[in-house]
Amino acid sequence: MRNVLAILIPAGAFSRTEAETITAGKSLAAQLGADLSVGILGPSDDSFARECFAFGAKSLTRVEGLAAYQSEAYSAAAQQIAASVAADVILFPSTTYGLEIAPGVGYRLGAAVILDCVGLIGDSSGNLTITKPVYGGKANSELIARQGPVVIAMRMRSVAPGEKQDGATGEINTIPAPALSPRTQILEHTTEDTGSGPKLEDARVIISGGRGLGNKENFVHLEELARLLGGSVGASRAACDQGWVPATLQIGQTGKKVAPDLYLAVGISGASQHLVGIAGARHIVAINKDAKAPIFQVAALGVVDEWQALLPKLVVALTEHKARNS
Amino acid sequence: MLHLVVCLKQILDPEIPPADFKLDPSAQRAAPTASLVASIFDENALEIALQLREKVGDARITAISLGPPSAVDVLRKALSMRADDAILIREEDFPGIDAHGCARVLAAAIRKLPPADLILCGRETGDWHGGLVAAFLAAEFDRPYTNFVAGITKEGDHFHLRRQTEDGWEIVRSAAPAVITVTNDDHNLPRIPKVKDNMMAFRKQIPAWTASDLGLVPASVAGPNSKLEQSRLYVPVVDRKCEIITGDNAEAKARQLVERLAALQVI
Ligand SMILES: Cc1cc2nc3c(=O)[nH]c(=O)nc-3n(C[C@H](O)[C@H](O)[C@H](O)COP(=O)(O)OP(=O)(O)OC[C@H]3O[C@@H](n4cnc5c(N)ncnc54)[C@H](O)[C@@H]3O)c2cc1C
Repeated sequence: MRNVLAILIPAGAFSRTEAETITAGKSLAAQLGADLSVGILGPSDDSFARECFAFGAKSLTRVEGLAAYQSEAYSAAAQQIAASVAADVILFPSTTYGLEIAPGVGYRLGAAVILDCVGLIGDSSGNLTITKPVYGGKANSELIARQGPVVIAMRMRSVAPGEKQDGATGEINTIPAPALSPRTQILEHTTEDTGSGPKLEDARVIISGGRGLGNKENFVHLEELARLLGGSVGASRAACDQGWVPATLQIGQTGKKVAPDLYLAVGISGASQHLVGIAGARHIVAINKDAKAPIFQVAALGVVDEWQALLPKLVVALTEHKARNS
Repeated sequence: MLHLVVCLKQILDPEIPPADFKLDPSAQRAAPTASLVASIFDENALEIALQLREKVGDARITAISLGPPSAVDVLRKALSMRADDAILIREEDFPGIDAHGCARVLAAAIRKLPPADLILCGRETGDWHGGLVAAFLAAEFDRPYTNFVAGITKEGDHFHLRRQTEDGWEIVRSAAPAVITVTNDDHNLPRIPKVKDNMMAFRKQIPAWTASDLGLVPASVAGPNSKLEQSRLYVPVVDRKCEIITGDNAEAKARQLVERLAALQVI
């Protein structure tokens, strides 16, 4: 029988990231006929624990005295938790920290490691079927793990958080933080100023710009639209590489995975590596001067035009629409 | 002197349009319908190694690639970007190699070189997107590992790594020797080689190390990932119809678009 463990690395209060990791673990555990344990790395409070139980954790392990993130301390703690619950399927979040420690933990546990997965199914004999997009999202690889320990990180926003059962409880264990002398230290953390809108991962509306925007200044047009619609500005890798917007706004395979109701792509060709990041978007709308741009293959609505001509008129039309409906 | 080792992989051009992407009849990998290029983040890694050498002055950069004979092109490009040395490791000697095996083979090669102060890899390859080899290398060598680095400085005997997080940047102070992965930002776009450096790179000898050069028995390098069975590789079908908004001019299109957005209840 398999033992499933979901490792959480809280960045403050319980967030959608934790809900996704627990939900993935919970449904897998149910398919395998097992229970889900959760391991929390780093400081967390009782309301965090309540949320873990509400989303389906059966037991929970905290680490006493584990301070702010440090890769080696967190890796060692994850390994100790895994050993204490005899876990052989371990899920990590696909955050910077999660992706940093998951492979090393897997390596030391002698586990197969698969990151950035979008599908995870178990059966009653303990086999796992794992789906991982490859070739920049142009293909899916389906992998079967039959036996032995497995470390998995699900892609962000590929799991819809499950139903909550408020009031659910479970066992809470505490282990001491492992003693070691870390060889890395985080000296400073600066939050990138990404405008006034909500976090990209949570935004209902995203106005995104690509190489077609031509320069940094032109992003003000997208900011204006974002303000008008209560959304946030995102970008393609090409726009980030040019330094027009911070790299933290990059959406795609190696950027943010987003799931807005409206994703407006302006001057973005729609490379598969970009589309990977917007697979969860409800409605994609594209503005591109090239009718053959691949973005139109995934868009619900498209306008073939230069953004320079269209955007000013769009701002006017939206403002009028807002005035009519308020 | 600092010794920086950059690991580069040759892959099918990841930027080809989806319509040109085909699977190999074996259905276990992509068909060779595109040209071969260096995996983009590996070039970002080489770029920040070059920048670090420019800052510290006294450093040597070795580019290594585990790959088929054609991967020598990636190494020539690395030399023309001004890596000092390049080494090819014959991938044919290690059929069906997994991420663990890859790390073990690269580690064996790196052990033959002067001691490496820093090993740099791209954050993930542009074909299989494994994101594992660098972390496995760090585990092989028992060295500190930091991911998603976009810039490096040397401070005393430590590295200061500028690392991307979800919401911004961190400065991670890391003891040397260290292993890192590199992500893109506007400061590490791979430089364009100069013509004279292209010519120099063309003349340079690139050794091709074999399994026996590395003292490895191919069957013994595989790790747990080799036990995973790829049951299916397929191109997912996207079946969406795009409604193209028409109109005589931009204003008409904009009005039409707003109407349609309102109908979708997203504005
Ligand atoms: C391993 C790997 C990971 C990657 N990860 C990511 C990622 O996370 N995110 C990402 O975005 N990319 C990623 N990429 C890069 C990706 O392959 C593309 O290169 C990138 O998305 C292209 O950005 P773009 O669409 O802005 O630029 P382009 O492809 O150059 O497209 C620009 C578009 O603008 C249009 N245009 C030009 N002028 C105008 C105008 N005046 N009005 C309207 N339209 C105009 C053009 O018709 C064109 O379609 C990755 C690549 C690799 C290999």
